[in-house]
This record gives sequence, structure tokens and C-alpha cells, in this order.
Amino acid sequence: MEIKGLTKAFGVRKALSDVGFILPEGAFLSIFGPNGAGKTTLLRVLSTLLRPSAGTARILGCDLKTQPDDIRGQIGLISHRSMLYPDLTAEENLGFAARLYGVPQPQERVAELLATVELTARRHDPVRTFSRGMTQRLSIARALIHNPRLVFLDEPYSGLDPHAVEILDTLIASIRDGRSFVMVSHDLQKGFELSSHILMLAKGKQVLFDEKTALDFADFTTRYREVVGMGVA
Amino acid sequence: MAANPSQATRAEAPSTGRPSTLAQYRTLLAKDLRQEFRTREMLTSMGIYALLVLVVFGAALAQSARGFDILQVSGGLIWALIVFTSLLGLNRSFSHEKEEGSLEGILLVPLDRSVIFLSKATSNLLFLAVVEIITLPLFYFFFLTGETPSSTFWMTVGPLAVGTIGITGIGTLLATITMNTRGKDVLLAVLFIPLTYPLLYACTAATTVAVLGGDIGGAYVPALALAAGYDVVMLLVSWLLYDYVVSA
Repeated sequence: MEIKGLTKAFGVRKALSDVGFILPEGAFLSIFGPNGAGKTTLLRVLSTLLRPSAGTARILGCDLKTQPDDIRGQIGLISHRSMLYPDLTAEENLGFAARLYGVPQPQERVAELLATVELTARRHDPVRTFSRGMTQRLSIARALIHNPRLVFLDEPYSGLDPHAVEILDTLIASIRDGRSFVMVSHDLQKGFELSSHILMLAKGKQVLFDEKTALDFADFTTRYREVVGMGVA
Repeated sequence: MAANPSQATRAEAPSTGRPSTLAQYRTLLAKDLRQEFRTREMLTSMGIYALLVLVVFGAALAQSARGFDILQVSGGLIWALIVFTSLLGLNRSFSHEKEEGSLEGILLVPLDRSVIFLSKATSNLLFLAVVEIITLPLFYFFFLTGETPSSTFWMTVGPLAVGTIGITGIGTLLATITMNTRGKDVLLAVLFIPLTYPLLYACTAATTVAVLGGDIGGAYVPALALAAGYDVVMLLVSWLLYDYVVSA
């Protein structure tokens, strides 16, 4: 992922301003920042849901502006919103996504993923009857249905109880093999633990981008508090 | 739980062969129909609303003077019924997509955005058509049974078909524009009625001529042609604009 001068404005307000970094394949980037820092906007721009106002981005070898469909075929997004249809069953939701992406042998792929997220027994139940943790597991399966190389996570731990967090941790660990991740998180410790690279934003501006090995957690939290506390955010 | 790190979760080349536009259209449409079949939300709410409008019409016309010819205004009443009912349905047409951010899930798929428009417009068309099939015979039963419509009454099918297609096409575009706005119910109506006014005017004129048995060649056909032309232009504009609207 090569990002240069990425800017997103809504009218006169710049939600993102001149963000740039290079992320190697297989990396896990955690994006931090206070509310309104532009984290989710950056994620939405990188995942092709929003068009950038300026700047360039190459993701998995494709240009964000001119080849968005080529990027879409290789990315998945796990959000705190499930992107599932509550009145459809788990199997129908995954089958719908599989057919939209053109996954070969969709029924087998759906069965595989339901087994992976341990929801096979509930495959015929409407999503509306699921707990928050089960819904989140199913939304992960939906995001992985087309086997994406890059996974975006938008505050995936939001609203989960400790047990569900443990489940999600195990699941993320199990899908890391061969994939790159970009995660937005308010949880400093969790985000730092999982990451290989750190990006910190404040008021839409990039204030830190580094490999995690260049920082220890104490330095990182001190830096984060400085950014929040100095009124930048 | 210990999630199974199986081959299903290992990233290799993305396991997709991009499906045809037609296949994606069918998938989206089947999802809408399945959802409606399960919840019956749109059909029930539109159907009940249409019945209530008929009741209001009944109350409004109950005091009409002797000699009042309901056939003269039946075209207008039919279209008022259709417009009010369709507005309710259009406002609800993206409710499932909004509930859990499902529209974003669709926008993340490599597909032509206009396919989303076409599938949603088709499902709206089917739902409105079902409601019309149920309520228009009721309209006839309540208001026209004692009357003698002309032999060309069957030709009301023409403006009904053309008008319903236009209403659902333009309405789907406008429902997409307004779905994330505050006061979307009012905003949709404020945008929808002025924009579809030429269509409604033409369809009401053609329907009235068909009911009364007027000049088919001189009034019905030109009105129907105007409505059809309007449909073609507006559906084309909606198709072209949809990518911009849904990605804005």
C-alpha cells in the first residue's frame, strides 16, 4: 500500500489532510487517534467507499482512483456494523455475498466459513436472533467470503463483551496468515499488540507513522496523550 | 471458542471470477424478494395505506352532489392513490440496507453501481404492481360499480404500466439520495412530486380518456407517448447518475 498526500474534504472541512505512508504486504497497521481525527474517513477512502479529494494511493498494485473495482475484489471490511441482513439466515447472508463476488462453488465456501466461525449449527437461523458476538463472527465470515488479501477492520471490538473479544482475537489470529490488515481502534493496548505498524492521526493530519519495533508501548501511550492533550485533537 | 484456522481462512489469490452483470442483478433482486417474502413489510404497509386512502376518498366523495360524475375524476383519484402509496414504499425501500450498513457491503463488491439501481427499481416496481393489482379492483368496486365506464376502460392498463415504471425508477434514485438525510420522508415527497409531475399529468390524462372513452388517437396516445418518453429520459438519467449518487 503506497499512499501519498491523501486528502478528503467535505465541503470546506478537511477530514483528512496530506496523509502518506508505505505499508509492506502482510503488515498489520493500527490507526489511532481521538474522535474526529479522520481514522474512519481514511479507512473508508482506502476501502473505496469514499473518493479522495486529492492525493494518490496504490493498493495491492492497483490505483485507487482508476481501478477501484480491481481493489474491491481483493479487500474485505469488518466494521462495528455487521453489513448483514437481519431477516435473512446466516447461510443466506453468506450465500448472497458469495454470489455477488462470483465465488466458485459458493455453497461449499459458505459451509467452510460457517464452520470456521463456529456457526454451522445456527446456519438456518435469522441473523436477528444472534448475539452481538455471533453477529460479529458472521460479519467476519462475510468479509472473508472472497478470500481477500487485505482486510480493513473498523473498530471491530466495539460493543463486544470480554468473552466475545477473546473469540474475535482468536479468529483474527487464525486469519492473519498471508493477509494484510488495516485496523482503526480506540483501544490502545489491543491495537498496539496486534500491529506491525502504527499510524496516529489528529484533526485529519498524520502525526506518527512507524514500525511497532521502533516504539515501546509506554513511549507510544505518552506520545498519544501528548497528541490528545496538547489540543491538537 | 477456538476458531479453526483452516484453509478457508488462508489468504491466497482472491477466490472470485467476476460474475456477469445479469447474475449480480439477479442476486440483488432475489435478496430483496426473499427479504420481503419473509417480512412482508413493504407489501403490508403499502397495502394498508392504500386501503386507508380509499377510505378517505370514500369519505370525501360521500357528500358529493347528485349528478356528480365520478368517472370524470376517477383517473386523478387512481393516480393520487398510486402516488401516496408509492411514496410510502419508496421511503422504506432502503430500510434493510441502512439497518446494519448492508449497502456498504454491496458497494464493496466490484459491480456496476447501476445494477444496484436496476435491481432496487425492479423490486420496487414489483411490490407497487402487487399493491395496484389488489387495490385498483377495490377502487372499482367501491366507486365505479354503479357507473358505466367506456368500452376503452381496459386501456387504463397502458398508463398504469408506464406510470408505475416511471414512478419506481425515479423514486428509487430519489430514495437513494434522501435515505441518509434528516426528515427523509418529507424530502422525498418534496423532490418526487415536482420531478414526476409531467409523468403524473400525462398518465392521469391518458387514464381519464380511457375511462371516459374520449379521443384515443388525439388524446390518449399523445399522453401515453409523453409518459413513455419521460420514462425513457428519466430512467436513463437515473441510471447514469446512480454511481455518483450512491458513492457521494
